[in-house]
Amino acid sequence: MSLIKLRGLEKTYQQGKIAVPALRGIDLEVESGEFTTIFGPSGSGKTTLLNMIGCLDKSTAGEIIFDEHSINDLNSKELAEVRRYNLGFIFQSYNLIPVLTAFENVEFAIRLIEKHSKKERRERVMSLLEEVGLGEMADRRPNELSGGQKQRVAIARALIKEPKLVLADEPTANLDSETSKEVLELMEEMNSELNTTFIFSTHDPQVMDYARRLIEIKDGKITNDQRRD
Amino acid sequence: MKFLMNIAFKNMFRNKLRTIVSILAIAFAVMIIVFARGLIDGMIEDTYSLYIHYDTGHIKIIDQEYEQKERLLSLQYTVNGVGNKSFSEMKEDLNNLEGIKMVIPRLKFGAAVSTEEELVQMLAWGVVGAKELQFTNLERQLVEGRMVKSGREVVMGTKLLAKINKSVGEDVTMVYTTAFSSFQGATFEIVGKIESNLPLLNEQLVFMPLDTAQRLLYLNNESTELLLVTNNREQANEYLPAVKNYLEKNGGADKYLAQSWKNGNSFIQLLEVSETIYNFVYLFLVLLSSIVVINTLVMIVKERTQEIGMMSALGLKKKEVMLLFMLEGSAMAVVGSFFGALAGGALNYYLSGVGFDYSAAFEDIDVLMNPIIYPTFKIEHMLFAFAIGVIVTTLTAIIPARRAAKLDPTEALREI
Ligand SMILES: Nc1ncnc2c1ncn2[C@@H]1O[C@H](COP(=O)(O)OP(=O)(O)O)[C@@H](O)[C@H]1O
Ligand SMILES: [Mg+2]
Repeated sequence: MSLIKLRGLEKTYQQGKIAVPALRGIDLEVESGEFTTIFGPSGSGKTTLLNMIGCLDKSTAGEIIFDEHSINDLNSKELAEVRRYNLGFIFQSYNLIPVLTAFENVEFAIRLIEKHSKKERRERVMSLLEEVGLGEMADRRPNELSGGQKQRVAIARALIKEPKLVLADEPTANLDSETSKEVLELMEEMNSELNTTFIFSTHDPQVMDYARRLIEIKDGKITNDQRRD
Repeated sequence: MKFLMNIAFKNMFRNKLRTIVSILAIAFAVMIIVFARGLIDGMIEDTYSLYIHYDTGHIKIIDQEYEQKERLLSLQYTVNGVGNKSFSEMKEDLNNLEGIKMVIPRLKFGAAVSTEEELVQMLAWGVVGAKELQFTNLERQLVEGRMVKSGREVVMGTKLLAKINKSVGEDVTMVYTTAFSSFQGATFEIVGKIESNLPLLNEQLVFMPLDTAQRLLYLNNESTELLLVTNNREQANEYLPAVKNYLEKNGGADKYLAQSWKNGNSFIQLLEVSETIYNFVYLFLVLLSSIVVINTLVMIVKERTQEIGMMSALGLKKKEVMLLFMLEGSAMAVVGSFFGALAGGALNYYLSGVGFDYSAAFEDIDVLMNPIIYPTFKIEHMLFAFAIGVIVTTLTAIIPARRAAKLDPTEALREI
């Protein structure tokens, strides 16, 4: 059973009078638990594709089925609900809230889902921070953390609600290669431990090596899709 | 909601200078409102007191004809008993009415003192000294000597004494016209001096004992007016019917006019209308200062575009994004309004003691109004200004907050 099914997905941006086709017919299925990268040169449509999958934007044509439900007809409020409960995001520039501590930044994602008690929340956030290796730094603000540490906080924030899918658009673009490696290893570890589906984009060949499925995209079309073990 | 409040609160500290400027703008407007309210209130309060003390009492009884002739200081239309009740019986009866605390007779007439250069006109009041001290604030303004008691003695204002070139302890000869229109003169000892901001007291009035005035004018057991002091001036209108009833019962309804201080004073009514108008001025003032907050929030929304995109990706709905920014705006509004209200309250508290002098603005205006205003200190004014500061600013914060909520998450998240 596929977690995501894309059928004939197209996205055309309108820039004034010029139509910019960013995705031109994408067909793709992603299974639950996959650790997938979408790679391609800059401008190939990676971000656009992740935005579509992440329910952040609407397609121009085609269909998106997420967890057996078509999301084509959802309005912006319903899309926000889907994101809130089912999706985790990791961003290139971390996007942590600077006035909150690492702990609070992670907690933020489940404060939106009011199903945990305060104590339960606390325990979950702490154990996850420990898992990403930041147990000691829970009380630090983002400006007291290194880039790699910030991205670890972001990973914890994406995972705290136990989402079905985590999307990461160029998560290592702002990190040096050593730190990139650590971050990717952490993502890989979380994937195998929690069986969370990961899709991340990159244009860095070193990063691609970590993926177990490689999808290559060029000019808004999938040109290659291979799994490896 | 609670955690959004928490974040909004912490966000205030991100750019402290900008937050402080916004808070100060609101605080300033709110402080001005508290001050203006206290000032106007003090002015109205003061005007009320002056009119009540030196003109209307709580209820004033005069002869109906006297109303038109008051300016001429006529002695033909006096209060001199009602029906077969004498002047003193009438006073005593009125004093015994429900809610009437004091009955104050005043006998007003014109007098003059001739100096080497000119004839100085003055307004003489025959009064019961003790009652005047009790009812008015003359005691505070008696800077030398004492109030009149009995016999041939007078008390005058500082400026009037200067005009006739006399001081306390000296004798003064005054001329006046009696009830029978004969021109006479008498000599008095000056026993006290009044120093007042009020021109009436300072340069026009001369107090003398009521019985002395009555004898000189051949008006024994008469006065030009009776002022009634009630238990509560705000309820003067409620005590009025009993007074009217008394006059009617004794056949004096046609002769006398009994009026509450609340009626027939257009200046007081004007002041009350102006209070309403000022409320709009306050609103405008807060709107102006909230522009600073709007500006701050617009900058904040611009700076935090990526952050807004992140929150929206994490599932924050448009309404929640909007709420977050409105909360930040209203947090500034609450802090600013709080300190503004405190500062305004402190200012009024201070000025209610020492007074606020704007005599320059009123130099040539001849109204019964004190050129030194004592603003009132009232919690009510602080609460009013606080509320208007918080409400107006929070409402105007909707504008930038909506802008934040409208941001498209993919646009907001775009890496540069
Ligand atoms: N908001 C937009 N408006 C217009 N064109 C856009 C917009 N976003 C992306 N594009 C265009 O769509 C194409 C794909 O962009 P993007 O998905 O960002 O690629 P990538 O993430 O692989 O660099 C590019 O040609 C880009 O210029
Ligand atoms: Mg991109």
